[in-house]
Amino acid sequence: MSYELNRKLAAPRGAMPTTYEIDQVTADIIRGAFETVCFESATYLGRAASSPIINQSNERNAAIVDANGRLAMGAVGTPHLTFVNQMETRWGLMNLERYDWGPGDVFLANDPDHGGGHLPDYCVYGPVYDEKGKLICIQTLQAHQGDTGGKDPGGFSLDATDLFTEGVIYPCLKLVHRGELRRDVFDMVVRNNRFATFAGDITAMIGGVQHAVKMLNGLISRWGSDVVKAAINHSIEHTERRVREEVSKWPDGTYEATVLIDHDTAGTKDIKVHVACRIEGDQLTVDLTGTDDRPNLVGVWNTFANTRSYVMTQVVAAMDPTIVKNEGFFNAVDIVIPEGCIAQPPPNKPAALGSFHPACEITEAVCLALSNVAPERSQPQLYKIGMPNAVIGFDEKGMMWMDQGVDCRSMDTSAVQGIDGWGSCPNALGSLILSEAEDAESRFPILNISREMTTDGGGAGQWRGAPGSLNVKQVLKPTTAMAWMVSADHPLRGMCGGDDAIPYSNRFEVGSPNERKIEHTAQDLLPEGAKIAYQHGGGAGFGRPLLRDPEAVKEDVLDEYVSLEAARTKYGVVLTGSLDDYTLEVDRGATEALRIEMAAMAEAVM
Amino acid sequence: MTYRVGIDIGGTFTDFALLKEGSSESGKVVLHKNLSTPEDRSLGVMQGLGALAEKEGLSLADFLGRCEAIVHGTTVADNTLIEMNGAVTGLITTEGFRDEIEYRRGFKEDIWDVRLEPPRQITPRRRRLTVPERILHDGTVHKPLDEGALREACRKLRLQNVEAVAISFLFSFVNPDHERRAREIVRQEIQNAYICASHEVLPRAPEYDRTSTTIVNAYVGPRVTSYLEKLVQRLVEGGYRNQLMVMQASGGVMTKEYIDGAPIRVLASGPAGGVIGSAHCGRAKGHTNLLCVDMGGTSYDMSLVVDGLAPAEAGWNMHHRYLIGVPMVKVETLGAGGGSICHVNKGALEVGPRSAGAAPGPICYGRGGKEPTVTDALVMLGILSTDEGFAGGSFRLTRQGVDEAFQAIADEMGHGVAEQAAFDCWRVVTANMSQGVRRTTAGKGIDPKDLVMLAYGGNGPAFAAIQAEDLGISRVLVPKTSPTFSALGTLVANPTIDEERSYIASARTLDLNRIRQHWNDLSVRAKKYFTDAGFAAEAIRVNYQLNMRYPGQNFSLSFDYQADVALGDLSFIGEDFGETAIKLFNGRHMAEYEHIREHEVPEVSGVRLNAHVVTPSPEIGGGFTPSGNPPSATKSRRANLDAGFAEVPVYLGKDLVPGMEVSSPAIIEETFTTIVVYPGWKAQIDDAGDYQLVKA
Repeated sequence: MSYELNRKLAAPRGAMPTTYEIDQVTADIIRGAFETVCFESATYLGRAASSPIINQSNERNAAIVDANGRLAMGAVGTPHLTFVNQMETRWGLMNLERYDWGPGDVFLANDPDHGGGHLPDYCVYGPVYDEKGKLICIQTLQAHQGDTGGKDPGGFSLDATDLFTEGVIYPCLKLVHRGELRRDVFDMVVRNNRFATFAGDITAMIGGVQHAVKMLNGLISRWGSDVVKAAINHSIEHTERRVREEVSKWPDGTYEATVLIDHDTAGTKDIKVHVACRIEGDQLTVDLTGTDDRPNLVGVWNTFANTRSYVMTQVVAAMDPTIVKNEGFFNAVDIVIPEGCIAQPPPNKPAALGSFHPACEITEAVCLALSNVAPERSQPQLYKIGMPNAVIGFDEKGMMWMDQGVDCRSMDTSAVQGIDGWGSCPNALGSLILSEAEDAESRFPILNISREMTTDGGGAGQWRGAPGSLNVKQVLKPTTAMAWMVSADHPLRGMCGGDDAIPYSNRFEVGSPNERKIEHTAQDLLPEGAKIAYQHGGGAGFGRPLLRDPEAVKEDVLDEYVSLEAARTKYGVVLTGSLDDYTLEVDRGATEALRIEMAAMAEAVM
Repeated sequence: MTYRVGIDIGGTFTDFALLKEGSSESGKVVLHKNLSTPEDRSLGVMQGLGALAEKEGLSLADFLGRCEAIVHGTTVADNTLIEMNGAVTGLITTEGFRDEIEYRRGFKEDIWDVRLEPPRQITPRRRRLTVPERILHDGTVHKPLDEGALREACRKLRLQNVEAVAISFLFSFVNPDHERRAREIVRQEIQNAYICASHEVLPRAPEYDRTSTTIVNAYVGPRVTSYLEKLVQRLVEGGYRNQLMVMQASGGVMTKEYIDGAPIRVLASGPAGGVIGSAHCGRAKGHTNLLCVDMGGTSYDMSLVVDGLAPAEAGWNMHHRYLIGVPMVKVETLGAGGGSICHVNKGALEVGPRSAGAAPGPICYGRGGKEPTVTDALVMLGILSTDEGFAGGSFRLTRQGVDEAFQAIADEMGHGVAEQAAFDCWRVVTANMSQGVRRTTAGKGIDPKDLVMLAYGGNGPAFAAIQAEDLGISRVLVPKTSPTFSALGTLVANPTIDEERSYIASARTLDLNRIRQHWNDLSVRAKKYFTDAGFAAEAIRVNYQLNMRYPGQNFSLSFDYQADVALGDLSFIGEDFGETAIKLFNGRHMAEYEHIREHEVPEVSGVRLNAHVVTPSPEIGGGFTPSGNPPSATKSRRANLDAGFAEVPVYLGKDLVPGMEVSSPAIIEETFTTIVVYPGWKAQIDDAGDYQLVKA
């Protein structure tokens, strides 16, 4: 539990020992089989879990880590979880005698200071041995839990000054010993959770790991452990080679970006993330030197493992999506994270909210930097929401309920070169299935009033960002609402000349004398009938708006993504006819003249 | 003599299965195939019916006059979505909810690919209009329907020349009054538009699922109904006197009149027909748990039959990138067919999902294809022959250009051996299919090795045994009728109505009168459609089903509360209804998810009715009585059946009769398919003349 431990956990690991010469096709077939094991494991969890965030929203991940602690061969699930799990298992691997590892064991880890992400991301894992008793690999399964037994339901405390406020911490806890559930340990873990559904979730995670371990045993006995080890080595080497090939196509140089977060949860302003991406031949280094390290910041601490993961999530997005996601990425890319900055906090710092910010500003900064070399794939994989508006109340029987606010909405999908931002959220979050009004209202005393897209609500550009949406909700009973507001002063940044997204804003008790704008955070008791309105910023634009095809602008106006006024003021497009009658046409001459004038003015300003 | 005819229209062929009744030939099936007629598909249907009449020695009018039922599987809806040429469609929805359909609940098909293009929108934003109105979850009206605003929305849609309108309001499945009234107004305001209301198409939550289904229904509806109308007209003119029955994705058939209410029910009905045919065939041969695999030109379809049934699920069915919420027989598809293209991607050999399709097709078709495909690999391996007629003798395969294409792959892979490259392609596609199967069975508590495989489609039997080996399966059925399996499926499927009504309440506080009322309403509907179709009300059998879930779960489980009882008999609803429902639900949850939440009271989320009439089906025999007669191979050729190249005997299907056994290695050439007997396996011709491959 120190910077030294972080260094050890992140240190490069060698190949699995084997002299077997494997051919490409056999290696790929075994990799496919491993991916199917992950798929089965994740599916098992998805079907057996009770909590909506797992069984409907799919916030879970299955991966296989080899005996050296390397992410072995692909994974199935949420990208930011994919690149964390190997760090958590490494702590166990470093202590396997101390923790008495053996066949049939299943462990639980969630410790931010021992290779973990934030506390709610539970990682359950089980070692896999060959017939001679040699450890070959580890099946891991991660899922976001609805609660962590901390001060506040859900595990997100706006005022947390240390990790202990946020919940119970497990560096490596044995849940199953040689196939037998440790009932006392299990009961304690379940007791430290507010929600009754948790017992079902953790049982499902254990079951999912055991199911996968059984399948992996079958694969190892079928192919032989030497062949499997060779296949793992081959897959990782192949990925590293492909990543380096991609990097070598990029021009050498150092590309930097700075992104600011409006403020931490205590109101300290302008929290800085700085990234420098250095490219030398086939070597990419992502260096976070210059990132904020003020020790008194509150709530904006992203764990070391999470920082590595978010960097990698964006690096992966910048490359050919067919490259297999495994340790080869970490072998090819150096990540430098200064000790003590918000991307590698001192021990015991709170970790929950850091997984939102600065984690997402890290991807944004990496994306901005890499947009210099890979513009066609420069879409930041993030959310700029601060925290969704969570509402919490009690039913007639005194049972607590919570609507976590993971509703359908449009936010933060920026354009990439050639494609306007589309859908609800960026691709990396695309395996999350969002909640619908009819489900939420059948369960909670709330009324969804609107969640429509906002005209002119994203960044303009040669390709425009998806418009953000305005989510308006009414509480039908007295209810507590929690919020953390960012991205108002510093909205999502445009790429390669595209406009920024619009600022986020959040208002409580809309339309009443108590209507107020949430500046930093809120944890308010709302009266019956109160309305809350969250304006999402939408995605940012890509490329200069004046370069957008005027016909596309006309279509956008017809669809009310863009207003007539913005067509003129942002895009320099003059339209004739009437929107009301769908008779709009581009006035080509006037458009050309206006665009020349606007370009000249822009140049004059620069 | 009377007849029942099953017809399935595919991209290339229209398949027919004729079932004879009421004579010494009762229960016998005659198969027929002719080319499809894409310009007017009903023409191909009439041509085939003419050919069947001729085979029976009857005039078309006489033959059609003797047809008790003509059952039809159509791909019109699927084609409309593939070609994206459906009706110009508008959406009218609740104010504040204009964009749900565009958000797709956050779903994106590839979470790693930032360059993923959006799906084409059926209802672009300008044709999505909202109206002030609001109904709450308990059905009470929170805000009345603003009829003035609705008429204004209609004006805007009219200006945009919409041909179809989907109406989807929040909680319309609890209280449909606003949708009903809106439909009346839209009918007045937009003449001749095809209109559908969400509470009729999919009366359940949540709004994205229901709205998406309704929009697709509006989009494909006009084409499906006009096609069926034209077909009915031709049949009636030809002398057919009964109702046309149409295959649904749920695996049941129903009258055109019923389909007209929600034409989306025919989407994906073709594959469903194949699965229903498989279930019937497997059952007849004594196997009720099946893995059905259908490998055609572009895809590899996998489905499961459990306890003799192919249950329809109404879950997250994404078709052509749109969510379709109606019950569908679950068929998983992999881009691995005969036409799938083999290529090297940065050092890794990949097969599919891109396909050469039927045109230009594989290189060996000699129609200008340049990229090597799975079919080409089979030619290189000697599994497919270039000597005789392929696909029933319609054309001959060529080796020209095939060697060169695999040589190029071999060079790119660095080993330089063309035959090795072809073999590697075969290995990759085999592994892809096996992984696909494992993903299909994943999470269902099913181990593939406990299943019997049933292989059909032109390319399925060439891979079946090797995949079975990989999956631990020890028996593979290859019915002789497999090339026309979907047509056979339409013939064995029963007329079925499967509908639900939303009702959400804790199982301990149920309003039994409301449940009774829902089941009554559904029963009245079912009775009307069945009796209109000429079935006696007494013949209708019903499964009364509930959808239930634990609080907090979005996806419900369906189960029979009362199965196979007469329509309208609700005497089983008594005081202990709720407790019995809890017990039944917990049992179902345990079977599906391997756990229950004993301290929680589940809730009912819907009331469902499955009404059906049992109709005659073809007889299919099973069993294997060895005759001891050795088959004789007509020739041999050099082939690699996973054990290196060697001279392999080749048998012709027409020479093999029941009781014969073919040992490995061997290749059996049938008219429309090639069956490979891999090392360690043998082929038997069972008493019905069908093939079964078993571990030697």
